[in-house]
Amino acid sequence: MPKLPLEGIRVADFTWVWAGPYCTLQLAHLGAEVIRIETRTRPCITRLLPPWPKGQGGGLNRSGYFNQYNQGKRSLTLNFKQPAAHQVARELIAKSDVVVNNFAHGVMERMGFGYAALKQIKPDIIMISLSGYGDTGPYKDYIAYGPAQVPLSGLSSLTGYKGWPPMHSGFSYADPNAGVHGAFAIVAALIHRSKTGEGQYIDMSQWEAMMALLPEGILEYTFNGSEPDRMGNADPWMAPHGVYRCLDRPEQVAGNTIDQFVAIACADDAEWAALARLMGRPELAADMQFATLRARKANEELLDKMINQWTSNQRASDVCEALQKAGVAAAVVADNKFLSEEDVHLRERLYWVFKDHAEIGRIQHAGVPWKMSRTPTEVRRAAPLIGEHTDEILTELLGYNAEEVERLRREGALE
Amino acid sequence: MVAAPYATKLMADLGAEVIKIEPPGVGDGSRQRGPFPGRVPHPEKSGLFLYLNANKYGITLDLARPEGMELFERLVADADVLVHNLWPPEMDRIGLDFGRLTRVNPRLVMTSITPYGLTGPHRDWRAEDLTLWCAGGICAINGGGPDHPEMPPLKTFGSQSGFQGGVHAAVATLGAVMAAMRDGEGQHVDVSIQEALASQLELFFEYWPYMGLIANRLGRKPIQPAEALQCKDGFLYVCCIEEHQWRGFVEVMGNPEWADEEVFSDRFKRAQNWEALRIFLEEYVSGQTVLELYRKAQAKRVPFAPVSTMGDLLNSEHLKARGFFVEITHPVAGTYKYPGAPLKYGATPWEIRMPAPVLGQHNEEILGGRLGVSAARLAELKKVGVI
Repeated sequence: MPKLPLEGIRVADFTWVWAGPYCTLQLAHLGAEVIRIETRTRPCITRLLPPWPKGQGGGLNRSGYFNQYNQGKRSLTLNFKQPAAHQVARELIAKSDVVVNNFAHGVMERMGFGYAALKQIKPDIIMISLSGYGDTGPYKDYIAYGPAQVPLSGLSSLTGYKGWPPMHSGFSYADPNAGVHGAFAIVAALIHRSKTGEGQYIDMSQWEAMMALLPEGILEYTFNGSEPDRMGNADPWMAPHGVYRCLDRPEQVAGNTIDQFVAIACADDAEWAALARLMGRPELAADMQFATLRARKANEELLDKMINQWTSNQRASDVCEALQKAGVAAAVVADNKFLSEEDVHLRERLYWVFKDHAEIGRIQHAGVPWKMSRTPTEVRRAAPLIGEHTDEILTELLGYNAEEVERLRREGALE
Repeated sequence: MVAAPYATKLMADLGAEVIKIEPPGVGDGSRQRGPFPGRVPHPEKSGLFLYLNANKYGITLDLARPEGMELFERLVADADVLVHNLWPPEMDRIGLDFGRLTRVNPRLVMTSITPYGLTGPHRDWRAEDLTLWCAGGICAINGGGPDHPEMPPLKTFGSQSGFQGGVHAAVATLGAVMAAMRDGEGQHVDVSIQEALASQLELFFEYWPYMGLIANRLGRKPIQPAEALQCKDGFLYVCCIEEHQWRGFVEVMGNPEWADEEVFSDRFKRAQNWEALRIFLEEYVSGQTVLELYRKAQAKRVPFAPVSTMGDLLNSEHLKARGFFVEITHPVAGTYKYPGAPLKYGATPWEIRMPAPVLGQHNEEILGGRLGVSAARLAELKKVGVI
């Protein structure tokens, strides 16, 4: 069995909530040994949030949110109010290649784990901070929360229905985006270290990593001095291009039916003609109101209305299949149930992960979004219970004996 | 377009030598998308292209022609990495095949970024940013909200599917480069954009396997306030997740009497009674300016943030102090500010070394200089449309 890409790389993971854990999740996917440093005195917020497994209720080890983003990692609990915990952390850092955190600026320094201190412990350490605003600049001490980073980045003012106020992206997008950019930076720094022997510190601002994905909005402003209009689901170069209402789900969820939609994007006149044929109205393709992109954009409201009429009494997956057969880009607007149970493609690609979790058994989780031909990457274990690997890490990695571990536990250093 | 160019942009900006290969004549599709200075479409002035392809060399090559494929293989022989986002049927058509390329260069890491991956029943499905954002499960959780069930799920602005495919691919590619440095052997990396998106659904996906609950855009927020509200001069995202943040905001508002009401006494009640709370908050917020209230809240550790316009970003004192925006001068498009480094590296500085290439700019330098193709042969290849 070939070694995994990052096998032998150890990550001391001081992260919490989502941005940091999403970063170290990528490293775990690539085979790094990721050790999450946690404390029972202030558990990761995601351990306290639902969803909880049916019939089992809440509990520190049962959150679907935590269990999704901490797959493949181990957990060490340390209570930094005890000096002995600092010593353990220093010993762990001395044996690590990478230290990751997503605290607000300055927190690691106050804990005694700023880059200068880490460099003393391990001269070639790679350290990254995924803070909201970065380490410099007048707002460096401002605090950032996942949902607020989306509007801060500028994405909200670009997203929304035509003529409506700014809208959100629906999830705390800046978090996983910071995490995955951070993972890229770490692997790049590992390559640099293997070539030069040199470690380094990486300052990442979640805000900036989000703006890196908004060139179309930012450049409209720097090129033309104007704020882009919100376009809903439309596109300047494609029409029809939208999300259309289909038949509701047949079943009820909590007493309500769930509406279903299909997304359709016609990139050119030929694809529009194919859609018109499927609609049973092939004559529309040559109609002056719709024959060219310019005409379709000018009459987009009418066009969308006609398509909505056509889709509204069909199942979303039927419309999607028919359009794909005709060579038109379409997709069911997938909700979590659709992804979980109805998307045959994801199932066939073995995207989903079912690992034995020590407390809740096997539950479906999202897996690795890539496949490697020679060094197959996969989720190697379910998310850890809080402190699940404390003893194992202390004894096997750091050389403590059982008695010493017991003493640390009595002192409260392993809480 | 976006996915592969963003993956290689991340590498180019850190110093990798990236040679961008475009089809002769039209070039990369992002050259057509803009935004354009003066809003006049021009293939050398598309903002999306210019942003994604700075720091890269650019050549043209028709891979569907044997002469083009031959030159391509000679480039591959000397490369560490090949990244592409050709649609799978297009890969089949031109014969872009890892099995063959790995014989040319056993250390090659080839990364294929495709909408649905290289296996499975949807391998050959057509896709655009909108359809992928939907297939990955993100659209379903945004839009309308409980007060506007008539509004459809809403796409996030821009080319986000491509960017996410690109950055996830960049992580996997560098991982494979590490393995190739160690083992002397490359491999094929198959990145599915749909999967990259489905892995970012926060806690929303797990509601189904854990609780049998469908998460969609019509759900009510469990905690309030967490909304954009209108100030005198723009929108501010008002965000009190923790109780101490709410108390901080109440102080900022001057401890109004209504804040003592039982119906607003904890974050869940504030969500249940959001319609009433919203009226009180809007009345206060509408008398403030965005920056004033932002700073007052942050001074009390309350994580408000402006709903930044593009102008706000370009004029932000914080981003100016960090030097986020960088000026790039391009011979045809001119000089403008662009988004800069998403990360600041201590030892290996991020920098713009050259603007994006005009179509075929480095044909002579790379194909002539690097591969040793003669000037006469290059002229011939140009005449028949291979470059």
